[in-house]
Amino acid sequence: MRVKRLRSDALTAWTFMAPGLLVVGVFVIFPIVYSVPLALTNYSVLGETKFVGFHNFERALGDRSFLISLWNSMLYIIIVPFIQIISILMAILVNSKLPGIKGFRTAFYIPVVTSMVAVALIWNWLLSSNGVVNYVLMELGIIHSKVGWLSSSKTALYVLMFITMWKGLGYYMMLYLAGLQAIPGDLYEAAVVDGATRLQVIARITIPLLRPYVFFCSLISLMAAIRVFDEMFVLTKGGPGTSTLTSSLYIYQQGIMQFNFGYASALGLVVSVIIGLLSIVMFKVNQKGGVNPY
Amino acid sequence: MNKTAITQPALQRSVERGAKRTRTAGKTLSYIVGYALLALLALFMTGPFLWLLSVSLMPGKNVFSYPPAIFPTFVKLDNYTQVWDFMNFPKYIGNTLIITAMGLVLNLILSALTAYPLAKLHFRGRGLVFGILISTMIIPSSTALVVHYLTLRWLHLLGTYIGVVLPSAVSVFNIFLLRQTFMGVPDDIRDSGKIDGASELRIWWQLMLPMVKPGLAVVALLEFMAYWNNFLWPIVVLDDPSQYPLAAALTYLNGQFSYNFGWIAAGTIISVVPIILVFLFTQRYYMEGISGAVKG
Repeated sequence: MRVKRLRSDALTAWTFMAPGLLVVGVFVIFPIVYSVPLALTNYSVLGETKFVGFHNFERALGDRSFLISLWNSMLYIIIVPFIQIISILMAILVNSKLPGIKGFRTAFYIPVVTSMVAVALIWNWLLSSNGVVNYVLMELGIIHSKVGWLSSSKTALYVLMFITMWKGLGYYMMLYLAGLQAIPGDLYEAAVVDGATRLQVIARITIPLLRPYVFFCSLISLMAAIRVFDEMFVLTKGGPGTSTLTSSLYIYQQGIMQFNFGYASALGLVVSVIIGLLSIVMFKVNQKGGVNPY
Repeated sequence: MNKTAITQPALQRSVERGAKRTRTAGKTLSYIVGYALLALLALFMTGPFLWLLSVSLMPGKNVFSYPPAIFPTFVKLDNYTQVWDFMNFPKYIGNTLIITAMGLVLNLILSALTAYPLAKLHFRGRGLVFGILISTMIIPSSTALVVHYLTLRWLHLLGTYIGVVLPSAVSVFNIFLLRQTFMGVPDDIRDSGKIDGASELRIWWQLMLPMVKPGLAVVALLEFMAYWNNFLWPIVVLDDPSQYPLAAALTYLNGQFSYNFGWIAAGTIISVVPIILVFLFTQRYYMEGISGAVKG
């Protein structure tokens, strides 16, 4: 009886999962697998396709633009801790029961729901040398002459980081808010009875219990930071010079714009390996802390 | 002895009253500080949009004039009517709706179908399937773009809306999220359906799906945002700009009329308002769904 039920369950299960797994297979797993043989060829629209061994990887090591793009992608990781700290503070702030708090939550979430195209356009205007940001900062006496925030190779990458962070904070705030609301209330009451101050409560109760969320949010923001693309694509096209060229943008230029499919696949694999290694490191560090994410 | 017995409660009462007074004072102060912080943050997050709105309402204003016009000195809707006539917005909104609706329906059905057995049915290989799915989330696919392009070319789907939607028709993240929500549904519900002789498909559709509505709402909202705002993949797949969705058309408008600030501002506001409205009306389910899925 039980065996029969198990067997019918299996048949149902696979029937249910078949369409979804087919799409995942073709568009998630196949690209990862297929990019390996592709990376070993010189496949492009021009000329005939040949097996070239590790030539693409050697070429990548000597490709200045690629190395710069990798470096920029690594630099971009700086934003990850900032995102966690600010969004946790925001989540604590909007976790209160003040009247009208839902309106504030919505306000903080608006940049998240808006398209990068719109966000990029607004900030491009605000940050131009005659823009509002320069005007306000000069009125406040913080800067003394106009800065071309996006047109200077010194500031452009950091400005893009700022925009990425500004757009994403609300998303992480919501995740942390969900985490905060899962913390049992009696823990706080006990702490208050014991005479703990607000800062002590945050440091001793809130943060430790949020750890699985911190891990999850750090991991997804890390991956998003390395994969960042839209900001550069709409705002700077990698410029000025190569100052905002990130690896995703460079892979896009090589693969989709110049049709160097083989080379782009090789570059993609290099980046994938780096992100894979970083995630393994994160998992290890997290396990040392004694928190199991799943 | 007797005296203290009388005054003790009185003393305690007055101490309590004092404490209450400082507590209310402290509460008022923390209210003020809290609201001040919230207001500052709200200005930081929404200020840029409000400024864009202000630019869109001032026809003929140059955003680069110095000092910049921050607040509207007069309000006119000229930019809106002009850009609406010029851009053929109904067409682009229609394109966006087609793409969004297709993506939304496919994602909801496919991920709910895939997640249900992973949470509720017992079969060999369940752990393996789930493990493989999760590991694809950890292995990032930077190369996917190139391979997707090749796959769609091979399937002759370049230039079609199916081609725009298909690569993201089911996301592993959604499967994961819905599996968590399905796990929160008691097994009795499925058993009662079995006893009544319902087919598994009917149990899934009529008993299970209503129980995981918050999870479905999260998936729907996330995918609505993703498809509504998607501009890169549609540009890659579609060759005819008249097929573009709104966000892609907007980059086009920006390139063509970079000097007509009012039009671009108005066009951007038009593209942003629907999604903000959708979020406003669904945020309750969204919050519920996120905490449900994380807890589950």
